[in-house]
Amino acid sequence: MNPRRIFILARRIMRQVSRDRRTVGLLVFGPMLMLTLGAILFRANPAAIPLGVVNEDEGLSIPMAGTISLGERIVEELGGSDVFGVVTLRHDEIDDRLRDGTVQGVVVFAEDFSAEFRQNQQAVINLRLEGSNPTRSMAITARVSQTAMKALAGLTSMGLGMAGVPQDDESKTKLPVTIEATYLYAGEEFDTMDFIAPVYIGVLAMFFVFLLACVSFLRERSLGTMERLLATPATRLEIVLGYMVGLGLFALIQVTVILSFTIWVLNIHYLGNLGLLFLVVALLAVVGVSLGILASAFARNEFQVVQFIPLFVLPQALLGGTFWAVEELPRYLQPFAYFMPLTYANRALRDVMLKGWGLAEIWPNLIILLGLAASLIVLGALTMRREVG
Amino acid sequence: MDTIVKAKDLSKHFGPIHAVDGVDMTVRAGEIYGLLGPNGSGKTTLIRLMIGLLRPTSGSVITLGQDMPNKAILAQVGYMTQASALYEDLTVRENVAFFAEMCGGASRARIDEVVALIDLQDRADSLVHTLSGGMKQRTSLACALVHHPRLLLLDEPTVGVDPQLRAAFWEYFRQLADEGVTLIVSSHVMDEAERCHQLGFIRQGKLLAEGSADELRTQASTATLEGAFLRFAESGATGGER
Repeated sequence: MNPRRIFILARRIMRQVSRDRRTVGLLVFGPMLMLTLGAILFRANPAAIPLGVVNEDEGLSIPMAGTISLGERIVEELGGSDVFGVVTLRHDEIDDRLRDGTVQGVVVFAEDFSAEFRQNQQAVINLRLEGSNPTRSMAITARVSQTAMKALAGLTSMGLGMAGVPQDDESKTKLPVTIEATYLYAGEEFDTMDFIAPVYIGVLAMFFVFLLACVSFLRERSLGTMERLLATPATRLEIVLGYMVGLGLFALIQVTVILSFTIWVLNIHYLGNLGLLFLVVALLAVVGVSLGILASAFARNEFQVVQFIPLFVLPQALLGGTFWAVEELPRYLQPFAYFMPLTYANRALRDVMLKGWGLAEIWPNLIILLGLAASLIVLGALTMRREVG
Repeated sequence: MDTIVKAKDLSKHFGPIHAVDGVDMTVRAGEIYGLLGPNGSGKTTLIRLMIGLLRPTSGSVITLGQDMPNKAILAQVGYMTQASALYEDLTVRENVAFFAEMCGGASRARIDEVVALIDLQDRADSLVHTLSGGMKQRTSLACALVHHPRLLLLDEPTVGVDPQLRAAFWEYFRQLADEGVTLIVSSHVMDEAERCHQLGFIRQGKLLAEGSADELRTQASTATLEGAFLRFAESGATGGER
């Protein structure tokens, strides 16, 4: 072993790497960007969850204290917490408001809520949930239950609720508040994986064809065949569209594999139409190909293509609605999300898989995806201007 | 004779570099026009301007009657780049057929004919990445002429080609010219220049002199083309008569 040779080799490598300014930049700023984004997202104060309240509680009349409504008390307590933004609703608009997303859950107090409580020492709260995000559903259930208990705890002084000696052994084990949850979409059998799966499918479908398109387009340029091709009657747009169709076949094969595997092997729940799912994912693959072609214009070699992975894919996965809905992101990050194809694919996929929606409801997202694909294709063709010379 | 390419005060600058600088030249039908000059003298840029891959900084070039760049004429033009530009994971025949299709298509018989012409019948179905450098160069030539172009632009077609093959190339160029095809061939090897009908000496983006080999030798009053080139280069550098 010759230490001198090792040193000379190392020096050559250092020289080469330091000449690739982009790589050095990525080494320095890449982690900072990713870490900052992560910190912002995980630390951000979650926005108040919009919660509807339907209070039909007739209350109780108590000697010396007048009429008191336990429903009222709980509503006040809910309104005072910064977890929820409380909206008062009528009974007949519950599902409409859940559907259009203006509330994510609705607490319903029946007419005899207070009376029942006096009789059974038990508050039964009906909670209607939107249901497509299981984590969110659980959080709402837990917080409502907690808040209700807090509200009722103050009642002991009035001889209600937890005051007095329990009558029998059974009541000792009973919590004073029970939540009876019902779901608009999905339901209890849906777990977090069901919530994440649509996004997973989307990210994978886009990611692999992105790499495929990026590398094959890059190879065409580095081998000089692009110059040859441009010296034929073929136009730039024709070349890009040719790539699109050529790689499209493999994208569709991949989409089929991803969907079949998640649905039949991993037993992911899905409600909507399978053909529609296929359409959304295929559209996303088209976006992936055009993104790859566009990106290849900014890479000099395969190594630089690999650098696109953290830059293109990770922010999309974080901001595109995978874990947090776009509306819940810090306001200054939201505009970025609206430029990301994954945002719209995520929405469409979740609407189909978790809510069972059809084309009539999800078409705006599909149109935007189509528009993004079309503009990326045109941009890709335009970047080829810098091809020769 | 018809004018096939006409450059008028043609210039292409890349920042401070004047790759082509005020070139006036005319190429006529059925001619083999040799662009002669050292590496980096602007031959490739000039060819790219003629075929419309680059836009002139100033001046103009008219190819096959069209002001370039213009895609319309490209089906009638064959182009061979300096380094062989082929799809390495396709076979010889597939490469030739692909470029033929891009220019409007060619019959199976024509593709066989061209493959035979470059003497690669045995390797017609081999993947290009298994071929030697010379074989790749031949395949590139086949791709450039499979569609019966009226004008062939060949950028240093004989670099890295063995003497035997080089002779075969030139014999074939001659044959094409006799059929009425116009060829523009760049080279930095002077002995190839003897085989051209018309020559242009290029140095530092400028056309130093233009004419047949004999004319150029007489003008420079030297016995060799190499000597003529040096003479013209000197007078060009000192702002001499030309």
